[in-house]
Amino acid sequence: MNIFLRELKANLKSLLIWSFIIVLLILIAVSKFSAFAGDPEMLKILDTIPPAVMDAMNMNAFNLTTLTGFYGIMFLYFGLMGAFAAAMWGSDIISKEERDKTVEFSLVLPVSRSRVVTAKALAALVNCVVFVLITWGFSVVAVQSYNPDQAFYDFLALEMQGMFMMELIFLAIGLMLGCVLKKYKSSGSTATGIILATYFMSVIAGMNDKFEFLKHFTPFYYYDAGEIFRSGHLDTTYLGVSVAIIVVALIAAYTVYNKRDLYI
Amino acid sequence: MSIIEVSHLTKFYGKSRGIVDVSFNVEEGEIFGFIGPNGAGKSTTIRLLLSLIHPTEGEGKVFGLDVTKHGPEIRRSIGYLPSEVFYYEGMKVIDLLKYSASFYKGDFTQRMKYLSELMELEMNRRISDLSFGNKKKVGIVQGLLHSPKLLFLDEPTSGLDPLMQRKFFDLIREENKRGVTVFFSSHILGEVQRLCNRVGIIREGSMVEISDIRSLQQNNYKKINVTANGLTPEFFDTPGVTNVQTENGSVNFFFKGDINAMVQKVSSLKLDDVTIEEPTLEEIFMHYYE
Repeated sequence: MNIFLRELKANLKSLLIWSFIIVLLILIAVSKFSAFAGDPEMLKILDTIPPAVMDAMNMNAFNLTTLTGFYGIMFLYFGLMGAFAAAMWGSDIISKEERDKTVEFSLVLPVSRSRVVTAKALAALVNCVVFVLITWGFSVVAVQSYNPDQAFYDFLALEMQGMFMMELIFLAIGLMLGCVLKKYKSSGSTATGIILATYFMSVIAGMNDKFEFLKHFTPFYYYDAGEIFRSGHLDTTYLGVSVAIIVVALIAAYTVYNKRDLYI
Repeated sequence: MSIIEVSHLTKFYGKSRGIVDVSFNVEEGEIFGFIGPNGAGKSTTIRLLLSLIHPTEGEGKVFGLDVTKHGPEIRRSIGYLPSEVFYYEGMKVIDLLKYSASFYKGDFTQRMKYLSELMELEMNRRISDLSFGNKKKVGIVQGLLHSPKLLFLDEPTSGLDPLMQRKFFDLIREENKRGVTVFFSSHILGEVQRLCNRVGIIREGSMVEISDIRSLQQNNYKKINVTANGLTPEFFDTPGVTNVQTENGSVNFFFKGDINAMVQKVSSLKLDDVTIEEPTLEEIFMHYYE
């Protein structure tokens, strides 16, 4: 419990910064939306955009002039933000102890390494939950002036569940990198690399049929706003795949961290 | 009962050597000195015993328990003062000490007060604002706070001023009187000589000697200095003689063996002067490193 509370406190600043960024993003986006809202001229302009660009931006599935359509596009940014924040929290919460050389203090305390990882993972998880709730809550507040219908709220709820799953996947991957990589400096950059790589895989998979198979390897496709919008629920197969990724990453994190040497 | 039992402990970092085939025991209630130059493997040995790193071969036991399997259990009764102290920079001294204490069973409020006053700690300062020496003082209080049964001290005096060093030594002696076993690693021989009962000497990853600090000084070696006309170093080229040096016509060397034979040999000379004395630990130590 003491490790958990200390980590919450130590990570509060980072949570506040990320929350501030996402609130700012929503504010700017929603104020931009006022330009599109219910404007038929906008649809004509959108028609002139090359299809490949539309695919890349995932703009085909949505009508940008409706709030729901607009939030469908926004999901990409929520997913990316969630992924980055969660991966950073996950990798940093473990690797910072080696970076700051505090590991010699924290692991000479009478606690097992598993208990340390668990407490830290839970603290990072709380950050992820709060981050989604802030995104969700502030979205609801920000769109009030457009009098959204129930369908919008339902779609928003699904999007937020999707964002949370993305966070969990990248939190688990971040924890794994923090636990497994001997070079503490590389865990953050490796996490960033994985996020960017998987994101571009999803873009390429969407643009070119030859590369469609790539979609199975990228969480950004598992929680595709267009798919969620069409089906009205999260894909159960990909939910299963997500859980599998999380479990494997966590097992790797615990196993390796318990066995490996800590460098000071 | 042996508090620490180390047998054939070996650690390689990839291909580079940490320690090789180190074996020794530390008995309950003793202050065991562990000396060697930087890079000899002192910290590696301690980190192995604290299960921060895992052995390549061999095993270490503390309180009769294997260090790789029972780490958390063992660490309940261990205090550790690393050579360089690193804590969470943003925390205040008082919060850090309370945080540390929260991991052990018991109420340590009184002890915290006693130790921090003794070490003249400023409890409300931030860790990041502390000098090296002040961090070390926090380390001393944090390491001793939960009344551990075994103390690992890794070059504990670096950064402390002489007055604090003396207070610290008094504190360690006091703890030792209460039955605390101390594992004292250092490259400064004077302090080991002052404090320890037994000493292990480590060099390039191997234990070269484990011995009672008195027998190391008294029984083993004599430092002999002979001045005589026309004396050459070759005269003492006999078994047991090491470290022969010539200085201003006098020859000095270390001798280990039958002192009668040596006295007879010396008596065959026409002497100007002769001295036979105990070498300082420093000199013995230098001897091991040549």
